[in-house]
Amino acid sequence: MEGERVNSGSNTMDEMEQVIRIFPQKLREELRSARTGDFWAEEIRLRAGMPLLMRAEGKDWYLENGQPRKWRPLSSYDSGISCSIITPEDIRDTLEYMSRYSMYAFDEELRQGFLTIPGGHRVGLAGQAVLEGSRVKTLRNISFLNVRIARQIPGCADEVRPWLFQKGEFCSSLIISPPRCGKTTLLRDLIRQISNGKKKTAAPGEGWLDGSRIEALQTGMQKDEEESGLTVGVADERSELGACCQGKPQNDLGIRTDVLDACPKAQGIMMLIRSMSPQVVAVDEIGGMEDLEALRYGKNCGCRLLATVHGCSLEDIRKKPVLGELVEEGVFSRFIILESHGRPGQIRQILDERGSAVFGKRQEEGICAG
Amino acid sequence: MRWIGAGLVVLSCTSLGFQTAWQWRMRLRWLEQLRQMIYFLKGEILYGHTALNEALDRVGQRCLQAEGERGLRKLPLFFLSVAGRIDRQEGEAFCQIWREEMEALKISPLTEEDKKALKNLGDHLGYLDLTMQERNLLLYLEQLDEQIGYLRCHLKERTKLYTSLGIMGGLFLTVALL
Repeated sequence: MEGERVNSGSNTMDEMEQVIRIFPQKLREELRSARTGDFWAEEIRLRAGMPLLMRAEGKDWYLENGQPRKWRPLSSYDSGISCSIITPEDIRDTLEYMSRYSMYAFDEELRQGFLTIPGGHRVGLAGQAVLEGSRVKTLRNISFLNVRIARQIPGCADEVRPWLFQKGEFCSSLIISPPRCGKTTLLRDLIRQISNGKKKTAAPGEGWLDGSRIEALQTGMQKDEEESGLTVGVADERSELGACCQGKPQNDLGIRTDVLDACPKAQGIMMLIRSMSPQVVAVDEIGGMEDLEALRYGKNCGCRLLATVHGCSLEDIRKKPVLGELVEEGVFSRFIILESHGRPGQIRQILDERGSAVFGKRQEEGICAG
Repeated sequence: MRWIGAGLVVLSCTSLGFQTAWQWRMRLRWLEQLRQMIYFLKGEILYGHTALNEALDRVGQRCLQAEGERGLRKLPLFFLSVAGRIDRQEGEAFCQIWREEMEALKISPLTEEDKKALKNLGDHLGYLDLTMQERNLLLYLEQLDEQIGYLRCHLKERTKLYTSLGIMGGLFLTVALL
């Protein structure tokens, strides 16, 4: 079970090998020799002239040279220590390699500062912006890479899903989370479960969530048991949900899911509604004015919504210009608030449209981890 | 015995002439096929913004099916093997993959000059943005057009020349040896 894998704190070797294979030969050998697969890595960071870093298990690690190479906590780093230093050539080779020698195919992504590579891993980029008028045309002298390792965790939404249905009907839901708290992973599994239909609910303590920590409140609301799956349309602008390769999702998004890959969210939502008649429209990281208008349109067309947004609490969201209005209008009926204490994917609360907790702690703490 | 030897000399010289003429025609066909493949590749890259592995694979598959039994399968297979190497993610540079896979074209009607131009294309493919890809491909297409134009222009006279040179050379050698 995936939950056990998380608790054991390590990746499967196959999974990590897939990640290591996105690096060119030199870095690949270094990562392999340091047994990177033994860690539950979240990020690998490359900065020109700096040590190779990894974020895993809530800590930063650097790669110490030696026989064999070892990952050491960054807190023990000292400038005198011999460690693997990233050169500008390493970054250039990595970029070329990750893009399959086709940087031209990622023009739009470069403009936005990230690439999504096979497997759904997102590579954040920073360097020198090239401007055309006031618009960023591209990035050059890219000297910073952040490889965010994407994972499917089937079953991680087991404990959340029942709370998103009322009288057998799916309620439009918004996942609110600071960065790196696992919102995309949760959204991906929710899409899969909603699309596939009812599945046995995990018992408390099982699965991705730490059930013992969660105080499920009895609010009179029943965990309604839905039966059939729903048609889900996914506007996957950054290819993180489906990790589509040649249009075919590599991640399991369920049997009734249609994916519009690499399309801007706002246009994607409209296109999906017109062409695929989804019962649920799912999008990751909404924020732009156009995205929100498209969501409103979707709701008015009778679709249920499933979306994620950066934030720490419902109060945060209410303060945002258009999103706040959508919340007030009752476009969303459930708010899933995530937090990260040491590891991602922990549910602080699930709230209903009135802001009352239906799951988790009754009082919103309003503490932002990010 | 002498006449058998003389016959063999004439036969071999004639076949050498025909072989050279055939090489000329085959080189033309290869370059025409290469030009078509590069046009397809350009379309995949510019129209679909397709990454190199996918574009080479699609073009290779398409041309392989179209060629059927005609014997011009080496070029599509070359594209497919480059795409396969990229997909296998062995961590090499693209130009290295391209050059190594060009070994398969060692025995072909292509001249050293043709191979050098093709190798140069591999050195610059994937570099910078779409405009650069377009220019690289157009530059190569221009070179191909020049070669094809030259080969076509001289096709008739050269094939006639090589075949008759073969026959005449064989006869001359026979007379000289007798």
